[in-house]
Amino acid sequence: MKSEEFYVIAFESTHHAIQTEKDLRTKFKIETIPTPREISASCGLSIKFSKDLFTDVTDLLKKDEKKYSVFRVERVGGQRQITKVT
Amino acid sequence: MDRQVDARGWTCPKPVIETKKLLESIKEGSVVTIVDNEVAKENVTKLAKSMAYNVDVKEMGGDYYINIYSQEVVKDVLAQPKKLKEMTILFGSDCMGEGSEELGKVLMKGFVYTLTEYTPYPKALLFVNSGVKLTTEGSDVVDYLRQLESEGVEILSCGTCLDYYNLKNKLMVGGITNMYTIVDKMNNAKNTIKL
Repeated sequence: MKSEEFYVIAFESTHHAIQTEKDLRTKFKIETIPTPREISASCGLSIKFSKDLFTDVTDLLKKDEKKYSVFRVERVGGQRQITKVT
Repeated sequence: MDRQVDARGWTCPKPVIETKKLLESIKEGSVVTIVDNEVAKENVTKLAKSMAYNVDVKEMGGDYYINIYSQEVVKDVLAQPKKLKEMTILFGSDCMGEGSEELGKVLMKGFVYTLTEYTPYPKALLFVNSGVKLTTEGSDVVDYLRQLESEGVEILSCGTCLDYYNLKNKLMVGGITNMYTIVDKMNNAKNTIKL
């Protein structure tokens, strides 16, 4: 069974998402993806990053005053489980 | 009796058209098409394979001799992978929709990512005009496209377009194609979506 764990940051504003992507991608290997459907309250764009970047990325985000949420996405086989982290 | 198409010196898509005509006119036997460049070799090979022929290519003196012969085995209908859908997507631009270029590129990235998440996959993705920027060096979606290719999705970039943007040597995923194949793919798909 293929299992996967990663994190996504969901934003309320598209501009905020694009700007954050620009800032983060200079330092980390991240990807912009459409927000998983299970997460409803957002602009539709999310930033995906791997588990090992969690501390670094969330530390950097703390400086950000605009609203965002971080979710953990776990996938085992076809089942996707999403938990809100911050 | 072997039949021959000497396509040396011909420009694309004539080698493909003439080979197709000859293949359609014969009932059995084989056809040899001679071409003098790599792109024509690829395109004729693709055509022959799409018509369920076997292909052997020999290189002699800088020319390619493409031997096309029919398969003796009965086609196995069940061998057709079920995870592909008779659908073609034509990428006419590296942006999704019109308006902001920045947003268009973000949306396109999201679209290609989401394609990897849904089955059945489309059978073919065709890239024309600035769409070829998605299959070449510097593209953010190369990894997603490679993933789709490994699942059996055909990734084809327009040769004329790659040439126009000077990207012919920078193709990172899939093959090079011409308008003949593009029309062929679209005509044979049950559904074509243009982006």
